[in-house]
Amino acid sequence: MIRFRSVRVLGDRAGETPAAPILSVPELELTEDRISVIGANGSGKSTLLKLINGLVVPDEGAVDVDGLGTASDGAAVRRRVAFVFTDPLSQLVMPTPLEDAELSLRRKYRKRTERRAAALSLLEDFGLAHLADQSIYQLSGGERQLAALASVLAVDPAVLVLDEPSTLLDLRNTMLLRRRLAALPQQLVTATHDLELAQDSVRTLVVDQGRIVYDGEPAAAVSFYRELSAHVAGSG
Amino acid sequence: MRGHAHLVSAYVPGSSWLHRAPLALKFGLLVAAGVAVLALPGPRPRAVVLAAVVMVHLAAGLPARRLVAPLRSMWLFLLVVLGYRWWVDSLPAALGVAAGLLACIYAANLLTSTTEVQRLLDGLVAAVTPLRRFGADPERFALTIGLMLRSIPFLLGSLHDVRDAARARGLGTSPRAIVQPVLIGAVAYARQTGDALAARGLGEKAMD
Repeated sequence: MIRFRSVRVLGDRAGETPAAPILSVPELELTEDRISVIGANGSGKSTLLKLINGLVVPDEGAVDVDGLGTASDGAAVRRRVAFVFTDPLSQLVMPTPLEDAELSLRRKYRKRTERRAAALSLLEDFGLAHLADQSIYQLSGGERQLAALASVLAVDPAVLVLDEPSTLLDLRNTMLLRRRLAALPQQLVTATHDLELAQDSVRTLVVDQGRIVYDGEPAAAVSFYRELSAHVAGSG
Repeated sequence: MRGHAHLVSAYVPGSSWLHRAPLALKFGLLVAAGVAVLALPGPRPRAVVLAAVVMVHLAAGLPARRLVAPLRSMWLFLLVVLGYRWWVDSLPAALGVAAGLLACIYAANLLTSTTEVQRLLDGLVAAVTPLRRFGADPERFALTIGLMLRSIPFLLGSLHDVRDAARARGLGTSPRAIVQPVLIGAVAYARQTGDALAARGLGEKAMD
């Protein structure tokens, strides 16, 4: 379970004191297995996600995952919470999908042959076995995102956090990704601008100007967000 | 997107005797080639070392064009070295230096063409493991090298993109228009990579 308690993240603009915190979450408990987060660019979605695995540590308050604080037990939290970035190229740190998967598995398998076999079977599960030795630069966007997903899932995390995973994908690859995500046993927290992807969940948070302004049913949250955006666009 | 893949994939998939040879043996041969070049000055013995390395290359069934590639990327450097040695010394000495350089490059090429990156990293980890008692973390060592291999093509690609963008805006080859964005891009890339590594718990102190 993911818990936020009186969390505030302040900006770090040098010199001037920012008028409002980047994100402020008084109280939040995430227990559902499919949660989505929607909101405008710069609203604080990414910060909210990064708080979950300790990539951002709150300036005030605390976030904990299964009782482990992200500030005090960062390493343990990150082993439990995997993170998928928008751009898989910045996520894949090795030259080929196979090597990247093996990198994730280095801790679990000390022996090279076992590690390789485990990495290959993992890629096979994701339908990427034929691309195992290709350079990541030669893969399509969709293949890269699947390879990145395979690598972060290699360590058997309990929670998967995704930051706009479909933003760089075409429709077909987005559909492939959605189908893949639906089959995962992990708890998923997904930030997205894709309102269809947002509805692949049981609970949706709408973030606006550093606050959670709606928390509820996905369909209702999406229409709330549509009205909010139309209002802002109209008044601007 | 940034497609400088050819630089990363030094490895040529295969199952030749050299591919199957243990890493220590291949590394030993590389060291031997280097020592032979240093110990045997003069063009003739070095030509023999060079010929031996080339023969191993061909005997392992590696494509001959891999012998041409280093020439293509370093001909200017070789030419300068050759010209300089010829000027300060003599033509045979200059040829000896060039042959020695090529022999070492080809020998190193043999190692990287027949050994996957992960295996090289494993070898590196094994080699630096004795340093553990002095506080070294071999896995971090290997990760650093792996990251370096991954970052070089990215930076070259970014240089390429920036040069195109500068040209598209009519800035030609102004060094300022190129150096600045490449540097900023490199810092952004480093931060992204750092985030990705932190998110995957890689490079954290071994805790098992």
